[in-house]
Amino acid sequence: MSAADFDREWHLGELFDATMLARVGPPLAELLDGDLAILDRNGELLWGLAAPDARREALVLELEPAGFLASSAASQVRLHAAGRMFTALLRAEARYRMASALHLEAVTQDFETLKLEHVRLLASEARYRKLSEELEARVKAQVADLEARQQMLYQAEKFASVGQLAAGMAHEINNPLGFVSSNLGTFKLYLDKFTALRDRLAEGEAAWHNLDLDFVLEDGVDLLADCSSGLGRIARIVADLKSFSHVDRPPEERADLNACLQHAVSVAGNPLPAGVALRTELHPLPPLSCNPGHLNQVFFSLIRNGMQAIQDAGRPGAVCIDSAADASGITIRIADNGVGMSPAQLERAFEPFYTTRSVGAGTGLGLSTARNIVLAHHGRIAIDSTPGAGTTVSLFFPNTP
Amino acid sequence: MPDQDATSLSFKLVYYGPAQSGKTTNLLRLHDLLSPELKGEVMTMETKDDRTLFFDLLPLGFRAPSGLLIKLRLFTVPGQVAHDGTRKAVLSRADGIVFVADSDSAQETNNGEAFQSMADNCHRVGLDFEHIPLVVQFNKRDLPSAVPEAEVRERWEAAPWPLCFAVALRGEGVASTFEALLRALYRHHAEALGLAREHGISENAFVAGMLGQTGTPA
Ligand SMILES: Nc1nc2c(ncn2[C@@H]2O[C@H](COP(=O)(O)OP(=O)(O)OP(=O)(O)O)[C@@H](O)[C@H]2O)c(=O)[nH]1
Ligand SMILES: [Mg+2]
Repeated sequence: MSAADFDREWHLGELFDATMLARVGPPLAELLDGDLAILDRNGELLWGLAAPDARREALVLELEPAGFLASSAASQVRLHAAGRMFTALLRAEARYRMASALHLEAVTQDFETLKLEHVRLLASEARYRKLSEELEARVKAQVADLEARQQMLYQAEKFASVGQLAAGMAHEINNPLGFVSSNLGTFKLYLDKFTALRDRLAEGEAAWHNLDLDFVLEDGVDLLADCSSGLGRIARIVADLKSFSHVDRPPEERADLNACLQHAVSVAGNPLPAGVALRTELHPLPPLSCNPGHLNQVFFSLIRNGMQAIQDAGRPGAVCIDSAADASGITIRIADNGVGMSPAQLERAFEPFYTTRSVGAGTGLGLSTARNIVLAHHGRIAIDSTPGAGTTVSLFFPNTP
Repeated sequence: MPDQDATSLSFKLVYYGPAQSGKTTNLLRLHDLLSPELKGEVMTMETKDDRTLFFDLLPLGFRAPSGLLIKLRLFTVPGQVAHDGTRKAVLSRADGIVFVADSDSAQETNNGEAFQSMADNCHRVGLDFEHIPLVVQFNKRDLPSAVPEAEVRERWEAAPWPLCFAVALRGEGVASTFEALLRALYRHHAEALGLAREHGISENAFVAGMLGQTGTPA
């Protein structure tokens, strides 16, 4: 029990200070024939003078003396009466002191409780802040992870489609390259005939006919024309590729989507698989602020998907590409009459990792990547499909100011 | 822990409970009923409408054969909800508790809330509520609206504390409640304080000394 506790046992010395004793002592002494000493509970003198033989009267507040009155002059009866009176005074003071000490303790308790509460609140606030930071970090990490996977898939698809494209292009370039080189071989043989002619000039006109140079001359011109047209074909393929990949253009520009569609059609349709036709119905479009390189890839893969769907159906068909503009924006539709998609496939068509074929098996970009690109252009993409009848993909791009 | 020095040992006991359940009445009747060797006056601190404002205090004591003075200081807390701070301060440093419940069936919620506040306050002031000597008294058994004793017993069956029934107004059950607390108190502290070994007080002697039944066999 500490000195501040209200419920300690109080003693005279702390209840009555010197001032109080100086006020109570003299009149009390007078009542006791001029002889009084006031002592603390341990006998220590607090006020007055105590004779060694003085009678002592215990002042009891609870069970034990809280102090003493001592007098040698006063009668026992008087001293006892004075003691009772003094005890009443002490008790009143003790009540007051206990009540105020208790009050102080209660207030301090409440204050301590408040402080504790405050500390607890701060702690829980800190905990929540930490938790929310952790959550945020986790979400960020997961988003980053997802983005990285998506990017990887996108890259994989892109590489696959680039690979496919490269294979197609190689074939296309190889073909003219083959006959140009063969023509040039033949042309060298023709030139050898002219070398032979130089040695037989003496024979005159007979040598010319013998060597069949009329034909050589005529065919040589044809061969060169063939070579020239073959090289022209290669030059056109390279030009298409260049504008398709936009290696020489900034990513965001105002472009004519019809031009993009035409590029995509010419790349996708080269070569055109047997039984597949490509039809375009393009209406004039206002220029759109966009990334043509990306949109080219979207159109290309949608057209390739359509062609693939027709091949999958095992019967001839066509991919129809049409474009139109109205006041709100540009609508592009790529429709095929191929195998179509089941409702279950349709439902999952835009899922990032979903494909009905193995990844990179030649369908170009995944639909989810196509959609991401369209969304990046503030556009919309929708698929309509009937199993066995075909699929129509509709794209809408709102007008850019 | 009780307050101890070379010559005396002092236990603080607290009567806790909802407003107007009869805590002060318990103390006043104990003062009349008990006759230990030492008995102080009841110090009450009431407002004029008899509601305890700070606390009441009744000091009791007796001397052990060893000469050790054993003191009990019985306090009551103010039951009114508003005085929770005071209640907590009075409860501080308690060595034992009597929970005085009001048997009036209309007071059941108040009893429950007060009991919960007692447990909470014990924790707040650092008392070990699970182990502190505690007796539960259902007072005002004389009320016609009192919850039947069997029902009370059934409800408190699983609780580890002694259950007492009282009509404090008539002094009935007041001393036996107090005795139950004395016994719990003795059992809780006797060993550590060497009450039997060093001071020659058995449980019965402890109870008899405080109740003032001198001559009761130890
Ligand atoms: N009928 C009945 N009334 C009682 C009994 N005990 C006490 N009372 C009455 O209940 C009222 C409150 O009694 P107190 O002893 O002052 O109650 P308390 O618990 O000290 O009240 P607070 O100090 O306000 O917390 C008084 O009017 C008492 O007379 C009892 O056994 N029966
Ligand atoms: Mg009271």
